[in-house]
Amino acid sequence: MPSQPPHHLAPYDRNNIFARILRGEAPCTRVYEDEFALAFNNIHPAAPVHVLVVPKGEYVSNADFSASATDALIAGFWRAVAKTATVLGLDESGYRLVANHGPDANQVVFHFHVHIIGGRQLRGVSGRGPVPSDGG
Amino acid sequence: MTPAYDRNNIFAKILRGEAPCTKVYEDEFALAFRDIHPKAKVHVLAIPKGEYVSLADFAQSAPPDMVAGFWRAVTRVAERLGVADGYRIGSNVGPGGGQIVFHFHVHILSGPRQ
Repeated sequence: MPSQPPHHLAPYDRNNIFARILRGEAPCTRVYEDEFALAFNNIHPAAPVHVLVVPKGEYVSNADFSASATDALIAGFWRAVAKTATVLGLDESGYRLVANHGPDANQVVFHFHVHIIGGRQLRGVSGRGPVPSDGG
Repeated sequence: MTPAYDRNNIFAKILRGEAPCTKVYEDEFALAFRDIHPKAKVHVLAIPKGEYVSLADFAQSAPPDMVAGFWRAVTRVAERLGVADGYRIGSNVGPGGGQIVFHFHVHILSGPRQ
């Protein structure tokens, strides 16, 4: 059973697009995968490199994930994010991570996901650089 | 290329109490305080209590209970700030990613940009 999410978000929908990608029912261009996470190219890239990383579990947001997942899964997920950046060749050039939480912050798909954005010079975290509106 | 950890970076000084901050949350894993140059109505930085230069360093080097504790702290910060229904988390990694202070930190942003 999906956990009851905190912070007034809708319950986890097992038919959201990222759940379907995880089950192999929807396509994606895979960048990295391990037991904790799957990373794939964003179909609406906001930068030359724009990848989404999702945990393998039913979590609507970072708050839900942090509150409900085990230490091992949380640590494994963030290690997978770092490994994805390495696979993408971004360790030297640098990158930005973004996660939107809740409809007020333009979260569109309610399966927790982290955006990895790179491939060009980035400025402050909310500056003029690419800001994903979470198109999925 | 991300530099080595510098124990005199400004966030290390804040953690040691040698530099001021406007604290909004603290627990055994993390400290959160207001960004002195806010880019949104709410703009808070959360940092782990340990010597990690970036998110990549933290994710690869910190023990799992610290990684989990840190992210749980980020959630509590959002709750304390009253923005749990809508906020953005951001972290820049490396000079080319826009990182300026090389102590891992997460930006918590909410409300209109300033």
